[in-house]
Amino acid sequence: MDFATLATCLSSPACLVTQATGGLIIGMLLFLVAAGLTLIFGVLKVVNFAHGSFYMLGAYFALTIFQLTGSYTLTILGAGMATAMVGLVFERLFISRVYGQNVLMQLLVCYGFVLIFDDAVKIVWGPEFKSMGMPATFQVPPLFIAGGVVPPFYLFVVGIAFVIGLALWLLIDRTRLGKTIRAAAYNPNMVAALGINTGYLYGFVFALGGLLAGFAGALAAPVRSLTPGMGFSVLIESFIVTVIGGMGSIAGAFVAALAIGLIRAFGSLGFPLFTDGLMYLFMVLVLIARPTGLFGKEIA
Amino acid sequence: MTRRSLAFDLLVGAAALAILALMPIVWPSKALVDFVIRGSAFALFATSLNFLVGYGGMVSFGHGMFFGLGAYSFALLMQRTGMPIPAAFALTLLMCAALGLIVGAICVRLKEIYFAFLTLAFQMLLYSLIILWVPLTGGDQGLRGGIPRPPFLGVNLANQMHLYLMSCALLVVGLILMHHLVQSPFGYTLRMIRDNATRANFLGIAVFRVRLTAFVLAGVFAGAGGVIMSLFVSGAYPEFAYWTISGEGIFIIMLGGWNSFLGPVVGTVILLVLNDFVTRFTEYYGLTLGIIILLFALGLRRGLLDVVLDAWRRQVTLAGVGAKPSGVSNAPL
Amino acid sequence: MTHAHRNRLDRRTVLKGAAASTVGLLAVPMVARSENKAIKIGMSTILSGRVAQLGTSSRNALMMEVEKINAAGGLAGRQIEMVIRDSKGQPQEAARLSRELINSDGCEILIDAEASSGAFAVHEVARDLGMLTLHTNSETSSLSADPKLHLPNVFRACRQGVHDSIVGGSYAAKVAKAKNLTKWMTTSPDYAYGRDTTAEYVSYVKYFNPEVEIVGEAWPKLFQPDYTEVLTKILQTKPQALYSCLWGGDLTAFIDQGNIYALFQQTETFAVNMADYTALTAVKNLPKGIHSGDRYIKTFPNTPANAAWGDAYRAKYNEYPTNWSWQNAAVVHFLAEAAKKANSTDGAKLAEVLKGLTIESPFGTDGHLTLRAEDQTLVGYAIGWGTTIPTEPYVTDMTAGDWKQIYELEAEWKKKKNYT
Repeated sequence: MDFATLATCLSSPACLVTQATGGLIIGMLLFLVAAGLTLIFGVLKVVNFAHGSFYMLGAYFALTIFQLTGSYTLTILGAGMATAMVGLVFERLFISRVYGQNVLMQLLVCYGFVLIFDDAVKIVWGPEFKSMGMPATFQVPPLFIAGGVVPPFYLFVVGIAFVIGLALWLLIDRTRLGKTIRAAAYNPNMVAALGINTGYLYGFVFALGGLLAGFAGALAAPVRSLTPGMGFSVLIESFIVTVIGGMGSIAGAFVAALAIGLIRAFGSLGFPLFTDGLMYLFMVLVLIARPTGLFGKEIA
Repeated sequence: MTRRSLAFDLLVGAAALAILALMPIVWPSKALVDFVIRGSAFALFATSLNFLVGYGGMVSFGHGMFFGLGAYSFALLMQRTGMPIPAAFALTLLMCAALGLIVGAICVRLKEIYFAFLTLAFQMLLYSLIILWVPLTGGDQGLRGGIPRPPFLGVNLANQMHLYLMSCALLVVGLILMHHLVQSPFGYTLRMIRDNATRANFLGIAVFRVRLTAFVLAGVFAGAGGVIMSLFVSGAYPEFAYWTISGEGIFIIMLGGWNSFLGPVVGTVILLVLNDFVTRFTEYYGLTLGIIILLFALGLRRGLLDVVLDAWRRQVTLAGVGAKPSGVSNAPL
Repeated sequence: MTHAHRNRLDRRTVLKGAAASTVGLLAVPMVARSENKAIKIGMSTILSGRVAQLGTSSRNALMMEVEKINAAGGLAGRQIEMVIRDSKGQPQEAARLSRELINSDGCEILIDAEASSGAFAVHEVARDLGMLTLHTNSETSSLSADPKLHLPNVFRACRQGVHDSIVGGSYAAKVAKAKNLTKWMTTSPDYAYGRDTTAEYVSYVKYFNPEVEIVGEAWPKLFQPDYTEVLTKILQTKPQALYSCLWGGDLTAFIDQGNIYALFQQTETFAVNMADYTALTAVKNLPKGIHSGDRYIKTFPNTPANAAWGDAYRAKYNEYPTNWSWQNAAVVHFLAEAAKKANSTDGAKLAEVLKGLTIESPFGTDGHLTLRAEDQTLVGYAIGWGTTIPTEPYVTDMTAGDWKQIYELEAEWKKKKNYT
């Protein structure tokens, strides 16, 4: 424990800015992955254990697209779309067969795919770790805001993630499609009875989840070491975020992701050896106080 | 539904033990000996997990905490104190029970996926503790230097054959005890709670207490599995407390079947065989395992023993024969 | 049962044939037979998962050398047959595999190419089964330094942490004195290797340069993808110099992330595991001037033999050799030399000869490698530090560690740890 450092930081605006933006960047990337996860669970009642693999695929697609085109914009869009496709196929061909079954069966199918995706990536891209490199636009010195250090790339990522999150919220909350999705989450039989093709709907939701995870992978790729199996750490953290935020709640995922990001950022100052433990502790406390998460609803 | 008497189980157990004891004589293979030892550890673990999952309807993702605690407690007790093995074993089981009581009291109230995640969180807390407390546990390198094995009652666990026989004995005794619990009034109450907790509650059953007891008991048997594993590797490693062990337990149950008592034992054999042989032929263990998992999950949709027993029962019913095959619980649970 | 008459390969024929061949076998002198029989050597390593490169590069280098030895006649006339298994990085798997290799697969010698915890598990198997075992990848010093772990049949044929720390500390102290770097920070992965190596390095820097002060520490988790909180902490603390024993993908991610914070312009960085081709070539924007400890560089030692070996590996496998590669290549050379000297492949006889054996090697600081007799561990290997440049050879100005100094300080370290 190092309360002294933590206290000094909290009283220094420069430190606050640096740490807070650090926490923001951690949180926003986490939010993108967790949003897809919680959406899939909220609507389809499926715990998508393979979600971390979508993130990994997004990052690897980004690597290849960037190597081929050199354009980061194309990279982000391309990686997102490609991962969305994977999500769609995954749902239509495999997940659709285990709807309504024992949650363990669903988990098993997802886990099977995690293993397959990991080895597939190893076969296609090779087992050694890879690096995408920073796009030239962002190879600039960091900004100084109120004395705190803020890399422009991170500002970009936070901004994009925020825009995506906003777009997602608008989609779910304001559009007709979003209404249908919410209805399907609430009462799938009724929605089907009203003549809406729930199959397409479910596929769309999974594709959306894949899109989000793909974006996250592409946005993280310039500052990550790409390796088969990189999905796991993201998976655990995004699960913690969705559980804390409440399964099915995007707002919950947003709040929880930011909380986790800030806990990591400031926690690493005050509790350098127990930062991970802090996260689990936070999860345990939230679950004891509110077993369905911060914004969660009871599972029907 | 017929209740199997304890005496019958004991008879079957004795026969199984005799067969296991004779196996290495008929088929001398050191690899087989090692296989059965590891199999006993995992079979105890998985069966205890199924006690919670299949019979209790409580899907725990953190059951590995008991396997890990069992391994570490036993190894530490043997390394640090001079106590005889039976005493260390008993003390280890006691510690697993204590952990089960504390964690269970907090977790057992929660439903389904939240129960699963909270047990997982507790397991990872234990894991973090093991990694952090380096002077006691050796940190991420594990307990090194081997476990002393003072002979007791003529049993010398430094001898692989003695270890083999003891593992088989522990397995058989553990299975008999668990089967007895499952077939006892406690077991039936547990199943009633699994099927309809609200109804059980209205019937005046203390749901919380039954679930907690099941949690603690399952933890104790899982701990025994951990002890066998620590003897096999002569130490304890943090991997024994990592969530992947819990995952393997779930996986074993899925492979072998969660509707039959011996399903997890079958699943253990399948998993270990897969584990031992796939890596001989390919570097892509993950790909192979993933495909096999999909075959089970999408194709068979049930564990192997469940499939076999269902087919047998269907045949028996079709043939119109009334006699129940012995040694098989025919309760369609 | 009626089929039995169709072909003559019925039970009686088979038994007769078996009897005949057994008699035939017994007739041949046993000595000649064992000379021609291949010797199976088992290898347990990690071929899948995150650290798969450890196993694949170990295996590649080993096979390259084994082929050479076999072409020259093998070990004491016996052709080497390698049996290589994947433990997936699980210590209980390593234990099981090493038992199987010896008990069921007929291996006579075991090469343990596991990482630390796997190596300790295999060590216990070696204690139980007593076969000649050579650790080729575990760098934990206690494996050979701790007398409780001494076994006459086990050798560690690879580098170890305390040697690296002594050299690293000495080099860093010199640079610190020259550039007046008194405020240091450490950033190392939070596990046994990271902690022990960092602690030892710090103690040696301070020993050589008492003015060095550690003003902060960061302990990211192994394989942690996001170093933001670590980097911001470093920026808060504003040290003059930074030490890290991050390796592999973690190191490259750290450098990538550090770059966007312009960390390396403000802080003199000392990375133990930087001079490794995989890391050097993976980082797209390798900053200049990072002080790097070598893992394997074909230009250090700067000899034709070393360069040739590195080139040969690259040509054969289309990838760069790693630290694990040279270590496993060296072990084959040791075995070959020992077999020649002992004129036998018996494990006990080989162990006798290996104890204290010195061989010529391109990986030795002065062209030699030795398996020190007192603790059966490797000494004399090339350890050095240099600074990075963005193009081949990636690291320049390599200065080699002084083994005399290493021996002195290592002896003191052992005394302090009560290992003597």
